[in-house]
Amino acid sequence: MTGALLGLEARRSRTLTFWLAIVAIIYGALVAALYPTMKANAKLLEDYLNILPKGFLAAFGMMGGSLVDPGNFFATYIGIFLWPILAALGGILLASRPVAADLERGFLELPLSTRASRSRYLGLTIAVHAIAIGVLASATVGGFLVVGWLVGAGFDNGRLLLVVVPAAAFGLAIHGATSALSVATLSRGLAGGLVGGVLLGMYLLDIVARLQPDFEWVGAASAFRYFDVRTLINTGVLDVGGTLLFLAVALGGWAIAIWRFRTRDLVA
Amino acid sequence: MTAVIQAAGLTRMYGARRGILDLDIEVEEGEIFGFLGPNGSGKTTTIRTLLGFLRPTRGTATVFGLDPWTRAADVHGRLCYLGSDPAYLGELTAGQQLDYLASLRGLPAGAWRAVAERFDLDPSIAVRKLSRGNRQKVGVVATLMGHEPLLILDEPTTGLDPLMQHEFLTALGEVRSDGRTVFLSSHNLPEVERSCDRVAIIREGRLVEISTIEALLASHRRRVSLTLAAPAPVSSFEIPNVELIGGADGREVLLMVQGDVNPLLRRLASLDVRDLTITTPDVEEIFLRFYGAGTEEAAS
Repeated sequence: MTGALLGLEARRSRTLTFWLAIVAIIYGALVAALYPTMKANAKLLEDYLNILPKGFLAAFGMMGGSLVDPGNFFATYIGIFLWPILAALGGILLASRPVAADLERGFLELPLSTRASRSRYLGLTIAVHAIAIGVLASATVGGFLVVGWLVGAGFDNGRLLLVVVPAAAFGLAIHGATSALSVATLSRGLAGGLVGGVLLGMYLLDIVARLQPDFEWVGAASAFRYFDVRTLINTGVLDVGGTLLFLAVALGGWAIAIWRFRTRDLVA
Repeated sequence: MTAVIQAAGLTRMYGARRGILDLDIEVEEGEIFGFLGPNGSGKTTTIRTLLGFLRPTRGTATVFGLDPWTRAADVHGRLCYLGSDPAYLGELTAGQQLDYLASLRGLPAGAWRAVAERFDLDPSIAVRKLSRGNRQKVGVVATLMGHEPLLILDEPTTGLDPLMQHEFLTALGEVRSDGRTVFLSSHNLPEVERSCDRVAIIREGRLVEISTIEALLASHRRRVSLTLAAPAPVSSFEIPNVELIGGADGREVLLMVQGDVNPLLRRLASLDVRDLTITTPDVEEIFLRFYGAGTEEAAS
């Protein structure tokens, strides 16, 4: 039974994971391929960026040093741009399916009317999704890393590989929060909308905190404050606290989801 | 006989809205138990409560002596459930879907092949390409491929053609012959009349009748049409359990008789009767009376 549940969930998750991974690899590869050109024209690029409003730059994560600095480069184009979008899409779409969406469409009755207990069903589903998010995080870094190596960008590959850890933790936190809300609301739209809205709000908080020294403190409420791939790539130091925070959110969300799923009525 | 399903005072509310109220039923081992009621009467709520998807607001329900809410996985290991419109995964073929369900129920891959052949189901077609009837066949095959001691079926023949419906009812008879139990929710009244040992009728969340098919037919009123050689006085028809409906002043008389017809036949022997017709209501007529009328009226 465990094999059947895992197999079907892997099958159902593979299409979304595959296409998001393709997007991540292609985008990462293109960005990495551009890096040598940008590095060769660093002065020109800096002059150009200096004429743009600070708020505009902050909105796209271009703050805190030169854009050709590897950490800033990765963070700007991938770390706080592509990956949050992919992690949100993957995390929300995967986490809201097994309970909320499948209950709405009537599929949930099939596995749950067999010997599969609710906790086993949801626990195994979450395990498959965690692997899918890990694959997505790896693909996001992988395309960038391989093409960077091919074009001689000079990135520190070890540090780049380490980015997979906080990136996956960030995605898992989104998945955990969405799982809990999906089971609590039994509505895919509501759960996804709430998590997406909160993420967007956190992104805006992060920008405000960076632009306004008086409001720097509000940045503490933003998940993006704890997803610091810029420092990791530039110094090799992983923000362990931030990563553990994301994992705690993920584990807490899953625990709430499984507990609530076991104890609630299932009414579409 | 052992009760496979027992519900005592089973009540389920959705906030202030009524689901089912004080339901008392017992389904015995080896019987096919029909569960009938109009839309919104509480049939699905009852089934969902018996499956442990919903927690009762009051009262108790047990399946094989176990509480389906707290022991759902144990209960589910001994039953097979077919919903009224199961949502299969469109991307899987019928065979893959059946293998998945077989695996969840501890059956070997391909356990469905003989049943699929019997119901003329092509297992190689993706579920999303199947017609409504063929999708229902997937459910029927899934139901019959195992040997669980209890089948809970919600409108199982919806969408099936008459030939397949007939085959399904034959298969249900075989299930009963094996000593297994069937809880059958259906709107197909001839199907119920043909297959069920007992029926329960639920209306507005409450049980209004529970009986064998034979007792149900016997307990309801027969319509008696008379053609007399000469008009008879009204007093001629003042007989226990007989109600004069019309035609007392003329030769055409219409009566309703509840229960024993012998007192009426003895009285008719004293009259010059030219023609006599006794019509027994069929199950459909009885059910429609329950469905459409208030409880008190229906019980009459």
